[in-house]
Amino acid sequence: MSAVLEGRPAQPESPAPRRRAARAPYLLVGPAALLIIATNLIPGLAAFYTSLRDMVFFHDRGFVGMDNYAELFGNPATWKAVGVSLQFTFAALVLGVLAALVTALVINRMGGTGRLIMTLFLIPWAMSPLVVAILWKWILAPFEGGLLVGILQFVGLGPVALLSDDLGAPAALVGVAVWRTFAFGAILLLAGLAQIPADLYRAASVDGHSAWEQFRRITLPLLKPSILIVVATLTISYFNEVQVIIGLTEGGPIKGTTTLSYLLYEIGFEESNQSYGNAIAVLMFVINMLLILAYVRILGMDRPKRRVGAGR
Amino acid sequence: MTRRTLFTTLLGLVLALVVGPLVWSLATSLKPSGQILSAPPALLPDPATLDHYARLGREGVGRNLLNSVVNSLATVLLALVGGAAAGYAMSRFRFRGSRFLLVFFIAAMTIPAYSLLLPTQLLFDRIGLLDSAVTLPLLYVAHVIPMVVWVTKTQFDALPIELEQAATVDGYSRWEAARKIVIPGAKPALIAAGAYAFLVAWNDYITAATMTSSPALRTMPVALTFFQGFHGREWGPLMAGVVIATIPPVVLFIVFRRYLVGGFLSGAIKG
Repeated sequence: MSAVLEGRPAQPESPAPRRRAARAPYLLVGPAALLIIATNLIPGLAAFYTSLRDMVFFHDRGFVGMDNYAELFGNPATWKAVGVSLQFTFAALVLGVLAALVTALVINRMGGTGRLIMTLFLIPWAMSPLVVAILWKWILAPFEGGLLVGILQFVGLGPVALLSDDLGAPAALVGVAVWRTFAFGAILLLAGLAQIPADLYRAASVDGHSAWEQFRRITLPLLKPSILIVVATLTISYFNEVQVIIGLTEGGPIKGTTTLSYLLYEIGFEESNQSYGNAIAVLMFVINMLLILAYVRILGMDRPKRRVGAGR
Repeated sequence: MTRRTLFTTLLGLVLALVVGPLVWSLATSLKPSGQILSAPPALLPDPATLDHYARLGREGVGRNLLNSVVNSLATVLLALVGGAAAGYAMSRFRFRGSRFLLVFFIAAMTIPAYSLLLPTQLLFDRIGLLDSAVTLPLLYVAHVIPMVVWVTKTQFDALPIELEQAATVDGYSRWEAARKIVIPGAKPALIAAGAYAFLVAWNDYITAATMTSSPALRTMPVALTFFQGFHGREWGPLMAGVVIATIPPVVLFIVFRRYLVGGFLSGAIKG
């Protein structure tokens, strides 16, 4: 990762066309930098500004100070959504990292077939999250024709309406989120596994350590940096997940899958309540910044000279 | 049970869980309408029919596909040009503010686009950019350009500067050296960045659904939600739509897998 940052310092300019050369980097960087300012910095400020006003359906009715925040933090729906977000993120994280780890460990012992299987596993990652949700909605359909119903019938069970069940819907959501992303984690872990010297295992075998002991004492500790990267990346991804929720559960049943990100969608976009919605956006932004700070620290992007994590 | 059989069983299970749904959607899209809701579910269409695809065609899915293609290609082109130019400057020039800019690009790369979508909608409404043909390409380019800057800068840093210096000695201008030596040398990064840019643009739903509303601008994922709304439980056409929306990104992914995985490992491509 940070091999990038430790790259050679930029070369000094050749003196000949000095004037033009002095302007050149700004001209080259300009379009990208301006676009990012226009679509990140300004909206960030606009979110905060709007959250201090009263604005519904793009109609600004003036300054209201911290009213939106008072309402947001006083509203039980906010805390319920925060709770759902935490539960969803945590459950998906545990399952996703575990699935990624098992997949990486198994694939790592295979040769070319393993690469082929990883390519198959990564297909869900390459698909549109909304399309994935629609596909799973059909699989989980509670009526005849649905694949889940068919499988349950085959083993002698009745149909289950998973998506309208208050435990089933969040569980299904976690499952689909993991389905989409576990292979991404597995790839990072595979790269980490490849970095572990085989000698270590050989020496451990000679010393009579069991496979489990080898896993616990060699694989796990040496894989820790890669696992941390996967955890950090997936946390941000799950916390901001909204498209799968829109396609699969629409926040229901009884708000059981209304995460903070879905609450933002409902209030900001569906109800077009810009001021209250932007208060949620600011809250989400703050939480994201904390997550990103942790992520940047874990990846060592803030310490250019140290090599951390999975190299190529 | 030995460890080997345990691993094989686990892998088989995961394989079925991943491939099963994909095959199921394809099978459903090819079944005659009468077979879709049959119990027990028929695993394979008998006989296979393209009726559902024809139906989507009659409902104007071609237009949605065209929108998705145009948006995605425009995104790839603009993001690569703008991003590689900035990446080149970050790698080859020393200038005031370049360190700050690098942190700025990294920060922008990690911020999830969705968390800024609501204020962006408001701003675009104020400047009349909502619901236009350029709205989505512009935003997709903005979403992916920090990543392009990062991966191209990384790759440019890894290219020996001596080659360019030699070329300049041979009478190449800086621009010629960049075009004939630096850009070709950065091909892997450009491919990874371009493929990822395409995936982001093609697979997006939330930006398209909130920033555009005209039927003429609907992309594939947005059109799918409309099919779902109008046709309710008509899973045949819906799954045909799922298949159509899935083939381009999956083919692209398989072709450029090596490059994309390189991007995963550099932290530029997110889960």
